[in-house]
Amino acid sequence: MKTQPEILMVDDNPADIDLTSEVLAQSKAHFHVNAVNDGVEAISFLRRLGKYAQAPVPDLVVLDLNLPHIDGCEVLSNIKSDPALARIPVVIFTTSQADSDISRSYKLGANCYLRKPGNLPEFVAVVQSMAEFWLGFAILPQKEKR
Amino acid sequence: MQCELGQGPEALQTSSGLSALPSIGSAGAPEGVSKGPPEEANGSTKRLRVLMVEDEPADVELVLRALRQAGFETTADIAQTGKEFTDLVRKNLYDVILADYKLPNWNGMESVEVLRQEGLDIPVILVSGALGEQTAVECIKQGAADYVLKDHLARLPEAVRRAMRERKLREDHRQAQEELARSNRDLEQFAYVASHDLQEPLRMVATYTQLLAERYKGKLDSDADKYIHYAVDGALRMQKLVQDLLAFSRVGRQGMALESTDSNAVLQVALLNLEAAIREGGAIVEHAQLPAVVADGSQLVQVFQNLIGNAIKFHGSEPPVIQVAAGVKGKEWVFSVADNGIGIAPENVDNVFVIFRRLHTRAEYSGNGIGLSICKKIVEQHGGRIWVESRPDHGSIFYFTIPIKAIPKQ
Repeated sequence: MKTQPEILMVDDNPADIDLTSEVLAQSKAHFHVNAVNDGVEAISFLRRLGKYAQAPVPDLVVLDLNLPHIDGCEVLSNIKSDPALARIPVVIFTTSQADSDISRSYKLGANCYLRKPGNLPEFVAVVQSMAEFWLGFAILPQKEKR
Repeated sequence: MQCELGQGPEALQTSSGLSALPSIGSAGAPEGVSKGPPEEANGSTKRLRVLMVEDEPADVELVLRALRQAGFETTADIAQTGKEFTDLVRKNLYDVILADYKLPNWNGMESVEVLRQEGLDIPVILVSGALGEQTAVECIKQGAADYVLKDHLARLPEAVRRAMRERKLREDHRQAQEELARSNRDLEQFAYVASHDLQEPLRMVATYTQLLAERYKGKLDSDADKYIHYAVDGALRMQKLVQDLLAFSRVGRQGMALESTDSNAVLQVALLNLEAAIREGGAIVEHAQLPAVVADGSQLVQVFQNLIGNAIKFHGSEPPVIQVAAGVKGKEWVFSVADNGIGIAPENVDNVFVIFRRLHTRAEYSGNGIGLSICKKIVEQHGGRIWVESRPDHGSIFYFTIPIKAIPKQ
């Protein structure tokens, strides 16, 4: 039986987490969204530290750049420099359109960079196609047994 | 002549450095002789700090006496060489330089050059023996404020006053310019930060009111539907406004990538971006062969796009026909975008370029009045001008110029 895809969403804006979860909840595939609000939490989740000891290994990380404590780029570089985590696709999902943020993200190994759209129809389209692509069409390396 | 005048930067004040000369400096002038203080500062006589380029002690004394008798409370330093002069102007503040034209080792005009290099605006008055008219004119051309013959020293106080007045005017003007530039920068920074930071909360308002509309349409009452619609509409409009404002402030903030740019290609990009509007409006865009110009291509796209977009939007009863052309006039390319639209009333031809200025109600025409001000900013940033000629109901012709420049080497 195919397990339910796990998404880790790292965002300090609860409205964006809610909206993304809403959109994903309406899609045919049954995604499970795990949300954390800052970079430290994200790293704890991924490394299964503390209260995240039982956390699932995410199939997709949706990462905001502008985060408290540890920013998105640092989380990204943590993921991509860890052999156990590097295979997980990371989608940067942010309001920043700065060239410097875009090029830095890709340099650090981001799999995709998406701007959060400002209106609902586009937001729905972007989140749905992101999930469909990375959790549907994209062929990714096998999960290591943990 | 090497004398006991300023031996170097240490021998600064004439009162101490020139012991041979009596009562130089702040000894008050006789009341009757004084023509009043040269510059009023709280009613007291203002000190005049003079740097003299002079090697003749007797001349120094004569000059200072002339100033003192005119009511200047004068302190003076003396420089005899370029090095002394440079050291002194770096170290002290002076109101005026009084320079002999001819010294053994250098001439007074070199002090003008030193001041220029040091970025100092201190008037230089040549105080000299017979100079010759041609030389005098040449010196003024090179930047001397005035010249006074040594046997007409009575003219000196007025020359000093005038030079200082002019300096004050220059200084005021420069300060006003700086203040204006600073306030423009601040305003631009404000527009940028405001529009940038407004986007985020606005995104929340827009998406969530849209979500409300989608999820609760017809489930509340008809008033609720209407109110939500107003909220969504307002949020989306404000979003567009903020984005346009951001685009406007970016024009000045981001440097231009000036390169040889084929304006035919630029126009094609603009037309491609306007494809939907052209199709929906049934517009015909005709254009002649356009030149290559030195410009920032993406900014030029914006100019064409806004002008042609407007020409389509403000169409008349006929389908819009837009003609784009360019020609050389003097040292500029003059581009024109002509339409057969509703035109602009004569009293509004200047207003259209003012930011947020809209000539129509929102019900008549959408838009927020930023497009043409972006065009203006871009064109002016390129060193050009933009204007419009129009007759109501007979269409408008927008003109803008781009200076003809050498193609920068790649």
